[in-house]
Amino acid sequence: MSGIGSPSMLNRDRTILDRSEAIARIEDVAATAEDFDRIVSQSLPLLLDRTVGYIKRFLRDTGQWSEDVAHEKFVLRWGAEYLEQFLVSGRFEVPCRPLFLLDSMVAKQHSRPEPFCYHPDLLTPLGRFLDGLVGRAAVSRDALIALYHHCYGLGPGQVIATLRLNGSESPRIYKNFQRWRDSGWKRTLEDIGLTAPDLQGLTEQCHQQRRRFNGEAERMLRFVQAHYRKSEPDHYPCLSRHQWEDMFLQGYGIEYRIWHLALCLNCLQTAWDLGFAGASAIEKPRVALQFQP
Amino acid sequence: MEEHMHPMDSEPERTGYREHLLDVIRTGARRTGCGASEPIHVFVNQQRIGQLDGAGTEATLQVRHQTPIESVHLRSEDGVLLGGLSTPEYGFKSSRIALMRDAVELRVQNTAQGGVVSAVFLPAPGLWHRARRAFGRIVGQGAPRPVAAAGSGGRILAVAQILLAIVLIGHFADRITGWTTPATQPLPVIQADIPQAAPLSEVAKLEQQLIELAQTQTKTIETIQTQQQGMAQLQRTMAKLSTAQESVASNVMTVAQELEHSRKGTEHNVDRMTRVLMNKNRSEREQLEAEIHSLLIANDQLSRERTQLEQNYQELKKQLTSSGQDISKTTVPDRDKLVMAQQDAPPQIADAKPIRPQPPFLLWVSFSEGTSQASIDQWVLDMHGRKGAFSEGWQAVEIVPPTEPMERVLDQIKQTKIVKAVKISR
Repeated sequence: MSGIGSPSMLNRDRTILDRSEAIARIEDVAATAEDFDRIVSQSLPLLLDRTVGYIKRFLRDTGQWSEDVAHEKFVLRWGAEYLEQFLVSGRFEVPCRPLFLLDSMVAKQHSRPEPFCYHPDLLTPLGRFLDGLVGRAAVSRDALIALYHHCYGLGPGQVIATLRLNGSESPRIYKNFQRWRDSGWKRTLEDIGLTAPDLQGLTEQCHQQRRRFNGEAERMLRFVQAHYRKSEPDHYPCLSRHQWEDMFLQGYGIEYRIWHLALCLNCLQTAWDLGFAGASAIEKPRVALQFQP
Repeated sequence: MEEHMHPMDSEPERTGYREHLLDVIRTGARRTGCGASEPIHVFVNQQRIGQLDGAGTEATLQVRHQTPIESVHLRSEDGVLLGGLSTPEYGFKSSRIALMRDAVELRVQNTAQGGVVSAVFLPAPGLWHRARRAFGRIVGQGAPRPVAAAGSGGRILAVAQILLAIVLIGHFADRITGWTTPATQPLPVIQADIPQAAPLSEVAKLEQQLIELAQTQTKTIETIQTQQQGMAQLQRTMAKLSTAQESVASNVMTVAQELEHSRKGTEHNVDRMTRVLMNKNRSEREQLEAEIHSLLIANDQLSRERTQLEQNYQELKKQLTSSGQDISKTTVPDRDKLVMAQQDAPPQIADAKPIRPQPPFLLWVSFSEGTSQASIDQWVLDMHGRKGAFSEGWQAVEIVPPTEPMERVLDQIKQTKIVKAVKISR
């Protein structure tokens, strides 16, 4: 029987006390950026849990929540992203009360039409792989270039040929590939919570039923691409065949080609159909997932 | 399936993932794998609007947005969030975001018409720049420095003077005590006795000693003054020496830094060049592989086409052979029909003598000036003729012997636009 003074009770009391103190601390005013950094760094777990709680509530309210580890990981991932943005932006909002600032920031995010990419299918290992990869590509050029490899099996030389890039742009593509292999790939897998057994399972499924597997992947990829393409500037919409042809012939829009074609399978195939130099030596890009960098 | 385990079963997995994310947040911008010279991507309202090329020089990016700007984020090439700010719905906000060594200055202005964001990349000053600034600071402090030197020099001088004075006073006291001690020891007796007992010669001697003492004192004062002047000169020399020494040390430091800088620069350049060459080499190799691949495909295609063509040729050959046999079969009845037709033909045609080829008729034609060779050729063609020799402005033309009278033919030829004259004989 655990009495009032038993160790477990004491520990629980201590935890509650620490938590109350932490809440009291982040409710205080941070007068300077240094104050903000200090207060927030001492309360990171608390802030993450608070953000996660808000996202869970949002999913429950919109009928998208389910009690399983996939949903738990999903809310943790988005909570961490919110918190990361809060950390860099909040220190310029001083004097402020960090806790309330975080609340307002999350509320602002959740007032958007589609605050995050959610689809039940994207909570499977394959869906998480695609969602994590394309989501990362929306903020990282290394990941963006790696999409050409992981989704379509293109190497750096083939990317350069397909996008018809010039000499000065080519070394950067190789550098993107190299950095992705060195650190980006591993970090992205960890950040999206994909484990080695998950990857192994995906690889086996792909080998067993390649066509069906890639067909399913294409369906999800189109959904994910459509969501994350919103992270492109407004002036990067899909183009007609004639417009792509003009762009390739005139040699402009390097950034446009790199960013848009990685996130749009239809436009990538249109660009390939134009049959410009080099691209003809490569098979028409189709979804053929690669699970190694 | 693992993804749909009960939360209680998956608690360790969830906790592990949560801890990992917290570590990532704690590590923050330090985990970027990009170098200082990598571009920095600028995101407005979560959309990438461009990049700042942070290759050691100042760079600016200015973008006008149709809608108000809510947030600006800076990310490295590998996607790490380096900094950012939230902006007010209306008004101006600016901040300076310090990166590893460099900094980015963000300015955002929101109006009713939209927002404008301006990002300026400010590179960290290089080693050479810092050394130059340090040198400038030294040079800039050149004016007050003599004052400081004079102050410390003055203090040194004062201390030296005090020490010298103490030494001299001691020496002087010693001298005085040395002179007076023998006299003072018996003083109580002598002093009492002097007025009566001291002879005049003794007084004169004492007076002489006092005069000598005064002279010695004067000389001592002069010596002290000379020494003071010497000390002052020594101080000035020391100050000059110190300045010169600092200058030399500064120059040595500058040269050393410059050497270091150039060494690093050279190493960096060599590294960069090596990387560029390697990348280029790799790129060319990839390109070559792609070309070889395309050639192989083209080769295969050509082989297929060649095989196809050979098959077609063989088929055509067979068809030609079979057609030849058919024609040979059909030729015999045709020949029979021709014979029968000849037999049925009217008597005048049947009796007609075979036409014997006649020799061509030669004309000499002079063409109008400015007539092109093409026009002449065309006219000869129209005449069903053939060009012959050309002599003294006359072109020989052989035509089929006309059935009409020659004069009429010649008149017709003369009426041709390009023909100036025509004759039969040369």
